[in-house]
Amino acid sequence: MAHHVRTDYGDSDPLFPSKAAVFWYAVLIAGLIAAPYLLESYYLSQLVFIMIYAIVGVALNILSGQAGQVSIGHAAFLAIGAYFTAVAQKHGLPLVLYLPLAGVFTGIAGYLVGLPALRLHGIYLAIATLAFAFIVEEIIARWESVTNGNEGLMLPPPSLFGLKLGTEGFYYLCLLVTVLVVLAAINIIRSSTGRSFMAIRNSETAARSMGIDTARYKTTAFALSAGITGIAGSLYAHKMSFISPEMFSLSVSIDFVMIIIIGGLVSLRGAVFGAIFMIMADPLLIILKDKLPLWADVVTHGLYLPDTVTQAVQAGVSRVVNAPGLKSLIFGIIIIVFIIYEPLGLDGRWQRVKAYSKQFPLARQRSARPPRMFLKSERR
Amino acid sequence: MTSRFLLSAAIVALTGLAAQPALAQFKTQGVTDTEIVIGTHMDLSGPIKSWGVPASSGMKLAVEQINAAGGINGRKIKLILEDDSYDPKKAVLQTQKLIELDKAFSIVSAMGSATTLAPMPLVQGAGLTHLFPITAAEFTFKMDPAKPEDRLKFNIFSPYYDTMRLGIKYVIEHNGIKKPCIVYQDDEMGKNFTDAYSDQLKDLKMPEATRVSFKRGATDFNSQVARMKADGCDLVALGSVVRESVGIVTAAKKLGWAPTFVVSSPSYVPDLHELGKDAAEGIYGVGQTEIFYPDTATGKVKEFIEAYRKMFGVDPNLQSTSGYDGAMAFAFYAGLAGKNLTTESLIAAMESGKVFEDIFGGAPVSFSKDNHLGVSAATIGQIKNGRWVTIAKNQSYKTEK
Repeated sequence: MAHHVRTDYGDSDPLFPSKAAVFWYAVLIAGLIAAPYLLESYYLSQLVFIMIYAIVGVALNILSGQAGQVSIGHAAFLAIGAYFTAVAQKHGLPLVLYLPLAGVFTGIAGYLVGLPALRLHGIYLAIATLAFAFIVEEIIARWESVTNGNEGLMLPPPSLFGLKLGTEGFYYLCLLVTVLVVLAAINIIRSSTGRSFMAIRNSETAARSMGIDTARYKTTAFALSAGITGIAGSLYAHKMSFISPEMFSLSVSIDFVMIIIIGGLVSLRGAVFGAIFMIMADPLLIILKDKLPLWADVVTHGLYLPDTVTQAVQAGVSRVVNAPGLKSLIFGIIIIVFIIYEPLGLDGRWQRVKAYSKQFPLARQRSARPPRMFLKSERR
Repeated sequence: MTSRFLLSAAIVALTGLAAQPALAQFKTQGVTDTEIVIGTHMDLSGPIKSWGVPASSGMKLAVEQINAAGGINGRKIKLILEDDSYDPKKAVLQTQKLIELDKAFSIVSAMGSATTLAPMPLVQGAGLTHLFPITAAEFTFKMDPAKPEDRLKFNIFSPYYDTMRLGIKYVIEHNGIKKPCIVYQDDEMGKNFTDAYSDQLKDLKMPEATRVSFKRGATDFNSQVARMKADGCDLVALGSVVRESVGIVTAAKKLGWAPTFVVSSPSYVPDLHELGKDAAEGIYGVGQTEIFYPDTATGKVKEFIEAYRKMFGVDPNLQSTSGYDGAMAFAFYAGLAGKNLTTESLIAAMESGKVFEDIFGGAPVSFSKDNHLGVSAATIGQIKNGRWVTIAKNQSYKTEK
């Protein structure tokens, strides 16, 4: 573990851990800005989904990772943001107005959900949020005059200042929103609000005895998390261009929880890693499905195997990769492996790889871990 | 640092605004001298895989047969199939992959409502045709005259609304029904059935009677059935899919109640009597094609069943025929378009009004310039001695008795 010399209170919690980090983040941003000029819109589309999921991941990180409250109903907040957007757009509101308003509106809903969270803990809170998700889905399906019920709503392409946003324009909008949300989240975590969240996560009793208004901060956490998810919902609605209640089912909420579990609960970086994994896994497996038979062909030809063997291998490979359900199996195995062997998620793994390369050849298994963990808040 | 980030991001966002998609133009890709690439996405591992797997198999068989017979004007079809797990997000990405990486000429027989509606603007935006999706949603064929890109979508799937309306009309007219009721699944699909129910009764100048609903996935229907029995319904329209339909008729049998039942396309499948046994006897059903049985099939249907069995090791079902028909209809119209196959020539061939007939005795398919829903008629069957028996073909609720 590297040690820093601190000469200022601000040093104890900098926005960026080091100068190198600033440089690499700048490179990342530059790469993302250049992406539309380098990539086909298929890959751009994946990036957009990653950004939307990353925003949700950040929202859940604030709620679960920082404030320690569970939610398996975040699809409902996504739905509220999405439907708010569809309705606002239909009534002629401009994007600059309805995008933040979607966040505010959803934030209010989140505040209301936060109220029962004052009394509920752990699994009971999870069930309450789950019930909330069902209620929202039901309301959307029933309130036909506004939501068009189960038939769903089509959204015209978004426009900003009278200009229709094309694929690239929308990509940049998502990028901008993602950067803003991440910066906002970092600052929330650094602020006294964020510290109160952590205090509540570690011990509610201790937090209260130190004068933290736990009721206020718990509902704040819910409102913030919901609001950010609502903004993601707004982008999601535009990305999909069609929304219906069944698109915000329980499985979507579970997806969101998986983002932070796979990515790592402890940091915002984890939320982004998790989003990348959740979105990219499927396209990668598809590429694998398309390419594996070809590679198998090259290998068998390279080995000068008889034709019958070549054909048999190829047929076998293509049968395996085309088997329906293979993807779900691989996905499931990856997740199980992660939960067992890397509970800190992708981000935890990343940190260890970094530490290993820094300390090479002196790195030891145990040096990745701090010598003693006093509090859960030492997770960062 | 923050402000610099914000500034650069903002500048970029504004420059990005300049990028605009061109007005929809029809585009042709994926056609070479020897090959036509078509793409599709179905649910092979999610909640509706019982539809996706057989439908995709039917499609693969059709492609195999078309290619074995020399292809379409000398071009072989290359089918690229993706598994969307009934996730609209995946469907969007996969459609983009099919369009951009695989250069598909057309998206044929994609499956599901949300999973086809979300990616559809992408297909239209690319100027490619979106043909015969396996969903009856109106968006898939209804055209807005102001939107030229709407000419790119065609469907041959009988809307649930149409089949339900026809079923209610037929049974009321033939069985002297006094009090028709409906039980329906409370979702998008169910709404088609309740709309059909109220419109048809209005048409027949009959008062509406009991309507009861259930949630998707429900397993206990006793209260719904008891209520309809208490209200004295003599016809029960089942706005449900197979498992729920079986649950409802079984509950009725347990209560010793035997009204006339009528089902629409989602339940017009052999599973209904296979699962429902005695309770399903006498049910009327309306669907797109005649239902076939491997042991009694003859002619082309028999050949189809044998080829399917040989290729996949299982018997085909009704779902298989939807994928098979999609690919066959594509081959028929692409063949009509001639050697110079482009998106324009394909659309012209389809809008020519030439009739495509499938091998299963389904309603004839034809399109025109202002109608892109290819079917207007359906088949009516009844379960007799544990099998669907066709009692009327080429029926439509629009025609007079």
